[in-house]
Order: sequence, then structure tokens, then C-alpha cells
Amino acid sequence: MADFSLWVILSNLLLAARWTVVLSLVAFVSGGLVGLALLFLRVSQVPWLEFVTKCYIEFFQGTPLLMQLFLFFFGIALFGIEVSPWMAAWLALTFWTSAFLTEIWRGCVEAVPRGQWEASTSLALSFIEQMRYVILPQAFRIAIPPTVGFSVQVVKGTALTSIIGFIEVTKAGTMLNNATFRPFLVYSLVALIYFALCFPLSWYAKILEGRFHVAR
Amino acid sequence: MSLVSIKDVKKSFGPVAVLKGISIEIARGDVVAIIGRSGSGKSTLLRCINGLETYEAGSIEADGIKVGGQTSLVELRRRVGMVFQQFNLFPHLTAAENVMLAPRVVNKMTTAQARVLADEMLAKVGLSDKAGNYPSQLSGGQQQRVAIARALAMRPSVLLCDEITSALDPELVNEVLRVVEQLTKEDMTLILVTHEMRFARDVGSKLVFMHQGKVHEEGPPKQLFAAPTTPELRQFIGSTGA
Repeated sequence: MADFSLWVILSNLLLAARWTVVLSLVAFVSGGLVGLALLFLRVSQVPWLEFVTKCYIEFFQGTPLLMQLFLFFFGIALFGIEVSPWMAAWLALTFWTSAFLTEIWRGCVEAVPRGQWEASTSLALSFIEQMRYVILPQAFRIAIPPTVGFSVQVVKGTALTSIIGFIEVTKAGTMLNNATFRPFLVYSLVALIYFALCFPLSWYAKILEGRFHVAR
Repeated sequence: MSLVSIKDVKKSFGPVAVLKGISIEIARGDVVAIIGRSGSGKSTLLRCINGLETYEAGSIEADGIKVGGQTSLVELRRRVGMVFQQFNLFPHLTAAENVMLAPRVVNKMTTAQARVLADEMLAKVGLSDKAGNYPSQLSGGQQQRVAIARALAMRPSVLLCDEITSALDPELVNEVLRVVEQLTKEDMTLILVTHEMRFARDVGSKLVFMHQGKVHEEGPPKQLFAAPTTPELRQFIGSTGA
């Protein structure tokens, strides 16, 4: 049996952690873009558009991310389309992230006083123009802390993609454990890597929150 | 020919009838003061004129545009400006940017053109030196004057003022009223919901007293104040001490 030193284990985990970071970033950015588009529908005051987005959000918030990963990984394959673990992970995380971000941002949009809508309405701005020039710039400030805070959930969510075979840090940990039979060491290191990724984010979110309250 | 024509307008919030058949004709250059107790439907009526509220029956026409139904509210709102009790300035924009926003976005002016317009409008309300200030750096009276400048920048044919001095400290009321008085001298058509009885009497060309969702009395302000014909108006004027 090959000898695995601590360094070999750690370096392999760190190499795999790159994919955790890449997947987190890609999912967060694409989830954010989809979430922004959904936000416009969610607050459009058009009943059926709001209903459809509400259903979408309820579905992705009300089912486990793991089930969503399975649905994308096995579901799309039913239509004869080959789905790589990377593709399924990206799609599932994008939809899941967008659902949560839309809800977070909807709260921020609703925190902007009604009078801002009425004033911009009275100035003949259209809905899109109101959002673009009046509402979102104000909602944006409120949205930064909870959005950064949620990015932590995305990073941790990527761990589940190991189950459909995407090789990120958790999957690499499982493989290293199978070769070394030292689960406590391996998974401790995996946990440390997650912590090293997530702690700065939640720390930064807290700072932003403080800064926002002072600015008010 | 009326600039604003309100005919038998009815509206209710759920089971509560707020407007029970309101008819008012307003000519170009009129300064209409709408007075009445709170809950008499004054603000609701005003908000119906620019489509912020919908109404259930009757018709409203402003500057040739029918309010409600299929017509474009954007076109209506270009011609009907509104100033609010709570100012509602955009806090993330400076005074000048507040004024420039709609001309730029809605009327597709260039930033330079809008800037010239904003300077002109801010000068009109006496705030040329505050162009670069954010709303939080302005007093209530100054904020309300910026809000007036912002509405005027769209060159509306009629300006709706919804209790625009009610949220102000007493010592700041006059600077806003002076600006409004200046507008009346420029033949701006104004519809004011107000609690400033003296101002309504001195500056208004027409007084409308609303009571329980109806126009209870209307006519020239000085005449109505001197000789109210209904007991309700007499009592209301008495209670305000005007």
C-alpha cells in the first residue's frame, strides 16, 4: 500500500478545492443573474408573473438541493441528452441560488419606501426605469450584507455535488479516505478548507452589515 | 374648455365609499384649493387625477387625456406633475440629479441639456446653491422645493400638490408657500389639497370643500370664506381658525 503523507493528502484536497471555488463562483454569478431577472418578475405587480416566480421559488426552496441535483443529473439524461456532473451541478446550483437570492432581494426592494415608487411613477418613469434608476440603487445597499452572507450557503452547497460524481473537495476527501482509511484526518482537513473559504465571507458580511447601519 | 375635467367620479376602498360622485371642472391657470376634514377623500381624488389610484365610475380627463382604461399613463404623467407630503426625493441622488432624472430618462434629454434645465428649475425655487447636495443634507423646506423643481422639470400642464406643507416645521412652511405663490403668478395650473386656509383664501382662484366623499361647496375662496352657505363649511372654517 502506498504511503500517504499528510502533505500528499492536503495537497490533493487543495487541488480539488479549486473546483469547489470555481463551482461556487460560477453558480453564484449565474444564480445572481437569473435571480435578478426573476426579481423583476417577482415585483412586477403582474399577478400571473408573480405567481409563476413564486412557484419557482417555493419549489427550489422547498426541496433538498440534493434532490435537485439528482433531477438535473438523471432527469435531463431521460431526454437523451448527455449531462456531465459539472453541467448538472452548475444548473442545479444556479437555479437553487437564484431562488434564494430572488427572495432576499425582494425583501430589499420592499424595504424601499412606497413613496419612492409613487414619486417615480408620477414622473412618468416606466417600471423598468423605476427599478433601474430609483429602486435598485437603494435596494442594492441593503442587499449587500445578506447576499454576501448567502454566498456561504452556496460554497457549502457545492459539497453535495460530490454525490453525482463531481470532483470537488468533498469528493476528493471521499476518494482519499478510501485509499488511506483515515477518515477523521481527511474529513477534518476537508472541513478546515470549507471553513477557510466560508469564514472570510461571513466575516465580511458582518462588517458590511455594521457599515450599512452606521451609514443610515 | 376645461384643462382638467372630473365627472361623477366614484371610488371605494372595500366597503367604504371614499368618493361618492365628484365633479369638478378646472380651467387652465386655475389655482384650486381642496379643503376638508381628513378622510373626506381629498387626497384620494388628487391621486386619481394622475392614475396613482384607480376609480370605479365616472371619468377624469386631464389635458385631453382620459385617465384610466386603456390610455397610456406615461403620457398622462408627463403632463400631470405631483408633489407629495413626504417630499419623496430620491435619497441616492443629489438635488440636481433628482431634477434631471425624468427629463433624461423619460424625455431622452442629454445630460448637458438636463443639467441646464435642472439649474433653471432649482433657480426658480431658490436653491441654485444646493444643486450638489443630497436630500439628507437639506432641510424639509428645501427638500420640498427640490421636489417642486423636480415636478416642474417635466413641464407639466397641471401640478398636483398633496398637503405639501403638512410634514414641515412651522417656520419652513412659508418658504414653500412662496414658491407655490410664484407659480400661480406664472399661470401654472395648480390643484392643492391643503390645510393652509389663509393660503387657500389668498392665492386660490377656486375653493372646493369636500365633505363625506362629496363636493359639499365650491366657489371663489374669498366669497366662501366670508359667507359659507352650508353649516359644515362654516363649522370647518371655524375649527381651523381661519
